[in-house]
Amino acid sequence: MGKMELENVSVIIPEKASSTTGFFTKPRKPFKEKIIEIILLLLTVLSSILIFFVMFFVISKAIPVLKASGFSFVFSGGWDENFLNAWQTSGEQSALKFGALPLIAGTVLTTSGALVFCLTFGLGCAIFLSEMCPAWLRKPLESTVRLLAAIPSVIYGLIGLMIVVPFISKHLISNELSLRMIKICALDGTSLLAGIIVLSMMIGPIFIAMASDAIKSAPKIYKEASLALGLSHWRTIVKIILPAARNGIVAGAILAAGRAIGEAIALSMVTGSVANLPNPAHGLVFFLEPVRTLASTIVDNAEGMSVAACESALFACGSFLLLSCVLLSLFSRIFSGNLRTGGVSDK
Amino acid sequence: MLGHAACWLSGLLTLFLLLFIVIFLVLKGIHVISWDFIATNPKPSLDQNLTGGIFTPVIGTFLLVAMGTLFALPWALATAIYLAEYSEGNLWVGPIRTGIDILSGVPTIVFAIFGLAIFTNPHLSLFSTMVEDVANAKAFGRSFMVSSITMAMMVLPFIIKSIEEAIKAVPSAYREAAYGMGISKWRTIRKIVLPSAIPGIITGVVLGIGRIAGDTAIVWLCLGGSMTLTGTQPWWQPQNWLATLQNTGSTLTTYIFYSSPAGEGNSPDKAFGAGLILIIIIFALNSLVDYWGRYRTLREE
Repeated sequence: MGKMELENVSVIIPEKASSTTGFFTKPRKPFKEKIIEIILLLLTVLSSILIFFVMFFVISKAIPVLKASGFSFVFSGGWDENFLNAWQTSGEQSALKFGALPLIAGTVLTTSGALVFCLTFGLGCAIFLSEMCPAWLRKPLESTVRLLAAIPSVIYGLIGLMIVVPFISKHLISNELSLRMIKICALDGTSLLAGIIVLSMMIGPIFIAMASDAIKSAPKIYKEASLALGLSHWRTIVKIILPAARNGIVAGAILAAGRAIGEAIALSMVTGSVANLPNPAHGLVFFLEPVRTLASTIVDNAEGMSVAACESALFACGSFLLLSCVLLSLFSRIFSGNLRTGGVSDK
Repeated sequence: MLGHAACWLSGLLTLFLLLFIVIFLVLKGIHVISWDFIATNPKPSLDQNLTGGIFTPVIGTFLLVAMGTLFALPWALATAIYLAEYSEGNLWVGPIRTGIDILSGVPTIVFAIFGLAIFTNPHLSLFSTMVEDVANAKAFGRSFMVSSITMAMMVLPFIIKSIEEAIKAVPSAYREAAYGMGISKWRTIRKIVLPSAIPGIITGVVLGIGRIAGDTAIVWLCLGGSMTLTGTQPWWQPQNWLATLQNTGSTLTTYIFYSSPAGEGNSPDKAFGAGLILIIIIFALNSLVDYWGRYRTLREE
């Protein structure tokens, strides 16, 4: 019987093959293949030089203001007055001088504040997720991180505006404090602190996802060797696993920083949109003062786009943002290049 | 021991953060949502009860998602196919990948002003409308077409990445079998590789849709701040479709921004309702990706 079946099979196969010859009896013309490859290459090149288009257009529109302001764009303040002035005189040469120090300071302060939260709570959560989490909790926690990362920023802004800001203005700002500060800035809860909290809720999940991936991809034999030598689990995590995952964690932090720098809408909702430079001399009130970042300036002052000088100033903000994000991307490439140190596979 | 406690704490904190956000949105938004809320247009009013619903923002979101995907998908597909299948031995692949990588890190607000800078050029006024009564000719630069092209640029690197991974995950035995039968490379890709990579391609597209639906900065700058569709009315009639696409409107995200106390139309309850609907859309898309991912791994097993 078995032999019969084998014979049958051997008969069938050539038949099948001959019936499919229609597929390749007509040879494809090579130049069609060539043309398709060239079209694909052109589209690929187009998508990779898109970044140069973006840089060229944004920076070329920014040049009038950057040229007129020079270094004072970075080192002097008074953005709001400059902007009003440029708006009213509709772009005379004198109105091209802008000082964006408060905006740059606002960007740096909110981003670094959020990064501090990220590197403490986020790293803790990443360690928990990849090392200590009980099996029944792992799946829900992973989905939680992914869903949090997918929530649109405007919803974080809305929640910040409806919960965080009223909380700050009710519990942290007393009447006499706001009276004392009224000459400098209005304290109504929209503040640097609210910005930091909302921003860390936003970039935390991104960082957690990257960091826990990095921790998971640290070579298992390191951990096993360390545990076999009698080190405690915690000590193994701190001394062995985290250093091995260092590059991935740093890459995650850089990515999160890039997102934080570029966040516009949520921060424009909760940080008060006043180009104010918080003064460290005020002590802890420093965190309760309103700020504005480069990105949220573009959203807040978008109606100024119709005046050439204002438009150019906003593009100057955009080019600062763009350059810092490009630098961060390049920087994170260095770190994500070799996620696994030691060159040992975990098999 | 302290470290353990801290890690548990921050893990649980993350979990509670999501629960808190979802519960808060549901509690605040659920009583606003009704059929009327979804099916009426927003109306400008100081009284929160008279500000209407979110019909045009929902239409705007779907329009923008559809058009953004339409522009981004073929482009991303071509790039991903090239990178995954043709790029071997090409010295330029390194710089090309770096360019795409950097593009994925560019903030959306920068894309937004880039879109404005390009499409306010008077020669490109067919994508939007001309501004009248201005000494130097200028296009308005804000329309559904402008914002969907800008959106396509924004999501391009993300879609490329997931499609490329999907194509690379197709077993090389499939390709070799096809080559062995004398099928040309392009035909192999079209008939063998792409059909096997479809779940991954869908994942990439859905991720892109999530990003488009959730983005505010591009919409606010490139689509303008008007809540209703400003093209020739009634917009649903076919002869007015082109005018609708050339004019401004809104999406759910800009509706939330506009209705929140930070915007002009001060109606936070409506903002919560719209936020809840947006979150439901985004979470549904995410579970779709999950479902496809699980389906794929099951099939591979």
